[in-house]
Amino acid sequence: MSRTLLVRLSAVAIALGCAWVAYTQAPQGKQDGKQQAKQPNNMISKVADDLYAIIGDGGNSTVYVTNEGVILVDDKFEYDGQDIVDKIKSVTNQPIKYVLNTHLHGDHTGSNVRFLPTAEIIATKNARDNMVKNKAPGVMRVVFTDETDIYLGSKEVRMKYYGRGHTNGDAVVYFPALRILASGDIGANNGPNVDYANGGSMKEWGATLDGVLKLDFDTVIPGHGPVAKRQYLIDYRDVATKLPATVISMVREGKSKDDIAKVFTMNGGLWANPNVVNKLDQIMAELKN
Amino acid sequence: MKRTLVVRLFAGLLALAGAWVAYTQTPQGKQAPAQTKAPAPFNLIKIADDLYVIDGGGAGNVAVYITNEGVIMVDDKFEQHFDEIMANVKKVTNQPVKYILSTHYHADHSGGNTRWSSIAEIISTRNAHDGIVQHKQSNAPNDMIPARVTFTQETDLFLGGKEVRARYYGRGHTNGDAFVYFPALKVLHTGDMFTSATPLIDYPGGGSLLEWPKTLDSVMGDKSLDFDTVIPGHGPVSKKADLLTYRNNAQKMLTRVRSLVRQGKSQDDVAKVMTAEYKWAPDSLNMQWSLPGMMTELK
Repeated sequence: MSRTLLVRLSAVAIALGCAWVAYTQAPQGKQDGKQQAKQPNNMISKVADDLYAIIGDGGNSTVYVTNEGVILVDDKFEYDGQDIVDKIKSVTNQPIKYVLNTHLHGDHTGSNVRFLPTAEIIATKNARDNMVKNKAPGVMRVVFTDETDIYLGSKEVRMKYYGRGHTNGDAVVYFPALRILASGDIGANNGPNVDYANGGSMKEWGATLDGVLKLDFDTVIPGHGPVAKRQYLIDYRDVATKLPATVISMVREGKSKDDIAKVFTMNGGLWANPNVVNKLDQIMAELKN
Repeated sequence: MKRTLVVRLFAGLLALAGAWVAYTQTPQGKQAPAQTKAPAPFNLIKIADDLYVIDGGGAGNVAVYITNEGVIMVDDKFEQHFDEIMANVKKVTNQPVKYILSTHYHADHSGGNTRWSSIAEIISTRNAHDGIVQHKQSNAPNDMIPARVTFTQETDLFLGGKEVRARYYGRGHTNGDAFVYFPALKVLHTGDMFTSATPLIDYPGGGSLLEWPKTLDSVMGDKSLDFDTVIPGHGPVSKKADLLTYRNNAQKMLTRVRSLVRQGKSQDDVAKVMTAEYKWAPDSLNMQWSLPGMMTELK
């Protein structure tokens, strides 16, 4: 029993190591889709039996292999489409049957246009509404409001909506047999990037993660960043929960915007992202209400 | 070039002829255990622009919604009705069937999944999926295939510029009944939560007479549902007022049976009342699936 555990822990450690290498070796400065070079740069690494992470460009993709086809979570930028197919081909001959989009953004849905004719793409209703509103390409045919579950090749994947955060349509994807969660960008390591134009909320982010943490998982594949453990998302939730109260009290004390910005960037680096400072006015406006 | 075309056409004709012989010589599908009477003939009824109902076969009403990117169907009857459904769809469109929304797990509504699942994406509630996997319907075939895509509250389909919504409102006929709404046409397919018969409560499948009127109240109270026309699970296409009448009759049946149960009547006594007042035959599914559960639920 303990030997099995040790083997498993080592496997996870190796997988984490690979993911970290992949992550840190990915070219930096790729936050903005418009500035993308056209050359894909991704690595696929095994996270568990039949489950892989493709990390590099754009948002992380998760690959779940079944004997009736592949379930893919997020499909990066449009120019990554062929590379995603190639990376999956390196681990299985099964075709991609389902693509689950965690949210609308083009670094997670960019290859939808490629997969739409041959796979079923599924997202929340709000994610689709946002894509339609933004005239984004690759709009899916199937949406859900609370939960959708995919059953393929005797395997099960659960996709759930827990509330607002990064946008108003963030889904997490749960692999119950493996106790793994693909969190999308409500757990991205560059948060809290609140997309107010698409219904995001700093105020509700923590409560949304409270819901997510009711799921029984050990491993998190975040929307961006290396594969992590459950504790990563617990810490994330704690910071997301504390931040609004801290900011509100600082606003009331008449602290300067610079002082408030420091609160975001000084929390163990978790929130050290230029998006925070750029969006501080919007965040403060939301939290004052 | 022209000769090539002729050769190809000829080859195509030969292939078609071969397929036709193969098709007509295929033995018919097995009969569903529940069916004893001769099945009703199939009818294709136009309800609205691009929306048709296929009734007949002694199975649930199928809705056919045509878009320029494919057909969305509601329910697929028994497995042996595959060819007749396909033939009826082909009468009104050349579009392929892309999606099937299942109202619930029973074989007279989802039995066709066995044939359709390889060519269409079937979507049902999670509980309907589980009902098939756990074989909760005692007289259903053993090889029924559940949906691959399920939902708990609502799923919406967008195809060819058209929209269809499937939604779960609570228990009644089973614990996984979906209502399918066509917003542009103001039409609602109720599945077996509304039929031309008295409520059949599938207690082994999670049904509830106590919840049935409440679930229909939720449907009629949903302000996002604006419908005039109702396609029942079985029986003729109806109006919204008929759904309200059905809800009130379900409530009356509930009140009647509850008073009998609370008077301490035995299951045999209640059975006699159900036969006399509601025409429940002694060997009917109502007596098998509904009566024992009602005795417990309505105490």
